Amino acid sequence: MNPAISTDIAAQLIALLAVLMLVVQLLLVVQRMLLTSIRLFAVQSMFLAGIAAVVAFFHGAMHVYIVAGLTFIGKVMFLPWLLDRQVRRMRIGQEIEPLVNFPTSMLTCGGLTLLGYIVARPFTSLERLGNNTLAVAITLVLTGIFLMFNRRKAITQVLALLTVENGVMLAAVALTTYGMPLVVELGIFFDVLVAVMVLAILVYRIRESFDSMDVGKLTQLKG
Amino acid sequence: MSSTAFDFVLQTALLLGLAPLVSGCIKNWKAKLQNRRGPPVWQVYRDIGKFLRKDMVVSEHASWVFSYAPYVVFISALLAGLMVPMVSTQAPLSLFGGVLALVGLLALGRFFLALGGLDPASAFGGMGSSREMTIAAIAEPALMLAIFTVALAAGSTDLSHIVQATLGPAWSLLNPRHVLAFAALFIVLLAETGRIPVDNPATHLELTMIHEAMLLEYSGRYLALMEWGASIKQLVLMTLLVNVFFPIGLAADASPAALGLGLLSYLARLSLVAGVVVLVETANAKLRLFRVPDLLSAAFVLASLALFSTFLFQ
Amino acid sequence: MDQFSPILLNLGLLGYVLGALAGLVFFRRSRAANLGAFGCAAAAAACTGLACVHALLTGAATDAGSTRLVPTLVPYVQFTVCLDPLSCFFGLILSLVALALSIYSLGYARGYYGRKSVGVLGAFYNVLVLATTLVFLSDNAFFFLIAWEIMALSAYCLVSFEHEQNETRNAGVLFFVMSHIGTGCLILGFLLLFQASGGYGFAGFHALGDKMAASPRNAAFLLFLVGFGVKAGLVPLHIWLPAAHPVAPSNVSALLSGVLIKTGIYGLARVLFDFLGTPPNWWGVTVLGLGTLSAVLGVLYALMQHDLKRLLAYHSIENIGIILMGLGAALMFLHTGHPVLASLALVAGLYHTINHAVFKALLFLGAGAVVHAAHTRDMEEMGGLAKRMPHTALFFLIGAVAISALPPLNGFVSEWLVYQSLLQGFGTTSSLIRLMFPLSGAMLALTGALAAACFVKAFGITFLAQPRSTHAAQAREATPTMLLGQGLLAAACVFLGLFPTLFLKVLDPVTRQLAGPALSTQLSLANGLVLSGATPGGGSVSTLGLTAAAAGLLLVPFALWLVYARRTRVRLGPTWDCGLQGLTPRMEYTATGFSKPIRMIFKALFRPRREVQREYDFSPYFAKTLRFESHVEELFLTRLYRPLYGAVWQASRRMRALQAGSLQAYLIYIFVILLVLLLFAL
Repeated sequence: MNPAISTDIAAQLIALLAVLMLVVQLLLVVQRMLLTSIRLFAVQSMFLAGIAAVVAFFHGAMHVYIVAGLTFIGKVMFLPWLLDRQVRRMRIGQEIEPLVNFPTSMLTCGGLTLLGYIVARPFTSLERLGNNTLAVAITLVLTGIFLMFNRRKAITQVLALLTVENGVMLAAVALTTYGMPLVVELGIFFDVLVAVMVLAILVYRIRESFDSMDVGKLTQLKG
Repeated sequence: MSSTAFDFVLQTALLLGLAPLVSGCIKNWKAKLQNRRGPPVWQVYRDIGKFLRKDMVVSEHASWVFSYAPYVVFISALLAGLMVPMVSTQAPLSLFGGVLALVGLLALGRFFLALGGLDPASAFGGMGSSREMTIAAIAEPALMLAIFTVALAAGSTDLSHIVQATLGPAWSLLNPRHVLAFAALFIVLLAETGRIPVDNPATHLELTMIHEAMLLEYSGRYLALMEWGASIKQLVLMTLLVNVFFPIGLAADASPAALGLGLLSYLARLSLVAGVVVLVETANAKLRLFRVPDLLSAAFVLASLALFSTFLFQ
Repeated sequence: MDQFSPILLNLGLLGYVLGALAGLVFFRRSRAANLGAFGCAAAAAACTGLACVHALLTGAATDAGSTRLVPTLVPYVQFTVCLDPLSCFFGLILSLVALALSIYSLGYARGYYGRKSVGVLGAFYNVLVLATTLVFLSDNAFFFLIAWEIMALSAYCLVSFEHEQNETRNAGVLFFVMSHIGTGCLILGFLLLFQASGGYGFAGFHALGDKMAASPRNAAFLLFLVGFGVKAGLVPLHIWLPAAHPVAPSNVSALLSGVLIKTGIYGLARVLFDFLGTPPNWWGVTVLGLGTLSAVLGVLYALMQHDLKRLLAYHSIENIGIILMGLGAALMFLHTGHPVLASLALVAGLYHTINHAVFKALLFLGAGAVVHAAHTRDMEEMGGLAKRMPHTALFFLIGAVAISALPPLNGFVSEWLVYQSLLQGFGTTSSLIRLMFPLSGAMLALTGALAAACFVKAFGITFLAQPRSTHAAQAREATPTMLLGQGLLAAACVFLGLFPTLFLKVLDPVTRQLAGPALSTQLSLANGLVLSGATPGGGSVSTLGLTAAAAGLLLVPFALWLVYARRTRVRLGPTWDCGLQGLTPRMEYTATGFSKPIRMIFKALFRPRREVQREYDFSPYFAKTLRFESHVEELFLTRLYRPLYGAVWQASRRMRALQAGSLQAYLIYIFVILLVLLLFAL
């Protein structure tokens, strides 16, 4: 294949997958059902793994295959399974109650996306991998944080944290040819993995103590 | 000039002939997917033929607006269809109006449809009109923004130009702008044609109905025109989707071979979109009316993402 | 110079004066006053209209010098008028609307026979039209302000014409206060210009902004924006408009909403494009942003109304917004140095100006006829009027289709031009600001769709279904002169919709004067049958072609009828009533019910409240009586103006301490001030 075209295709594929990650993120923002949210997260992680695979394939960076594989195993299979099991075991009510209503949060996320793109704008020349990726990564982080404070239940906040991490990983993968070392990526990955497991246990405890997952109840801990 | 007239007649015939088939296919496939046998794909033609032969009962409360509305609905849908390239890249009426006129014509049809719903003094009709206009109003910004995205890329609001500008290698159609705008427009399509997450086309006499509520007092010839008009509108929007976003295999010239190939590719892509509609309809339940804005605001944000992702870096 | 236009113009102005005098002379004789005042006004409007068209088409407008009306010895004050293109264009709008209105008024004023003085109505009407004409034509800031104030005063008198009602008096006062805030800003603005140019003549103000320093120039911009914005009804300065326009007699409402608010547009166009020179970018951004905001909020509030005339008044705010979107975009293009696009955007804005004048006047006239017949402005008590007033219904429907920006009428054409200029504006700059263009376009789409929803409601609830009150059931068609007035405007709507390329020639001298090139040849394709979007391949539309194609397509239903349905019969039957004992008007959808989904969706804006009280004997399901009340909040009124009003009130209470009432105290004040001034002089 002509190398110029292959780079083009790679850039296009990455941009597409990155944007699909963003779309999934927005769907997460408007999703009411807890279990579906978890599945959406899995889908988003799958797109991330896909991006890593594309990067690895077109740039011949073998270590990125490891990232892709780990992402797939960890975030597409293991974590969703863990969260899913926990939701089912605790028999949490299915409906998520956001603080801000859906159209408003949707439009807020639209605004955050604009912000993400504006922030990423000066770095256009730095990226060779489709100019959307960094912007999407920043947006994922921003909307992830927005998601975290827009949700009441602890488990949804865990999900939001995971999407933030997806954003960080995306940036790492997208800029990978500039030498983000594998160790750092692995570090982030395991860091979050452990954090989520700790949080999952914590959520379980909160639920045991308060008979609810509403983090608003934590204010009662104040003496 | 004569070739334009010929195109005009040909495309009118195609619109008239194909629209009920698409509706029929969707009904049939949906039934198949739900393990029912379902009506045959030709059923919509039979219905229309039957309606045409029937006597009409017109409400005694209705005024002249009621009788003119079906014609406006029918003609405006047809006119809108004549602006969209279907089989070749050239639409017969592309000089007379582009995508903005298309949106305007669909709005004109809707305006009279809603008036026709209000006219017979039935509460159902008023309900349908009110909801139809509301949903159309909140779908409109998403529709326009998605359209703007492609129009800006092509530098024209003329659909033939837009289609020609989009033509290119197949992989280049999978760019983010295209995919996002497509997704936005697809949601708008569901809302505008009264498909399941927004309205239930199969329902009659329920408090949830929208489109059917407006048609409740229509019968005979008028009903035939209304139903036919609605299916043409659906076909037009689907054609807009498949040809603006994935104009693969459209005939660039008027040779029979190219046209035949164009027709085949068009039908294939059309049935693909119809299939997706069927899947969406089968997999989802109808949304509550006040949840519809959630969906449409999502469409709006998708369309704005399409805009941001393309143009902020140029 | 060709003397045709000035002579006609003077004749016209004289006609208005005569009309006003006739109204006053026949103070007690209604019929004579009616004929004299409105007859003169119609003739005068025809004269001024002809004068303006002639000046625009022959090109006399471009080199027209000032025509002196009254010689004066006072320095600075020169009562001169000038027939330059912009003035002529607005004069044309006014004359066109005034002609139809005057004819309509001949019939409409009969409703006041024996109740009110038709003479007073006619006299003030003539004064108002005269003053507005002079506002458009005056060539001197002093004269402009005098005409402006006479216009405001006579409008106030007409708004308060039915002053027996409390609502009317309050609306009149609000109008007066807001109008004066605006005038204050205008005076300051003109003083800034005077400072820079040393005179009050408009000729001396031309492109003055380029010679001014940045800060006075920006201050002038803001002052004029507020001053003219108040008159135009720009959000958030609009609150007087929906109060004042509905309470006036309907012919006056049509004039107020159709033309009078356009004096604000005229002023902005004059100041921004003629006086203030090449604009900085933020001017255009501000105007475009405010225009978008006005358009969306105007139509949203309009949807909540069930007073027919109030609904129309809110739509004026919407349309002013659309016009300003065109003007704002034009300013931005001038900033970036794209004169062709600036011309296009200006054409879009100005074309919408005349379109709005025509269809809004038409709708108000229709509303007047309906209100006259149904004895109420409340749509909830109308219904079924399409059968009893078929012609009025048809004209109102034409107006409704036009204002909803539906093809093939004129509203669609001008909004199409606005869309085109927004789309093409995207390429003019690479800064982030350009995202404003498609986003405002999306908001314009929202506006259009909501307007359509609103007019389905307005037309459907008013004219369709069963009558909801006995007055509505006994309504009779309007008198022939009233129908003629409406018919004229409806014909104008159709003409402006189907033949835009013909009309655009009129705008050529205006764009040449204000922005850059004339566009009419560039905008027309195929011998003027098709309107193009100025750039080759950028898109085109032909409302005429669409209409012709639609006529051709009518063959399809005809053929179907011929083949299948020739033998079918049509039977009248009752509407299906779910097996109850017949439908009553109370079962119909109401205007409030119709807009409920939108009220719920935008509840953050409307903050709807409702109260339901039921009285029942044994079960709440069988209520004996039910009282339902629903309110929508006018956000600007409750969140901006009421607190402001409260603050002013508080401040004045504190100030009252100064007003001790003792003579010595006042003398001390004077003395202290004198001392302070002397100290300053040191």
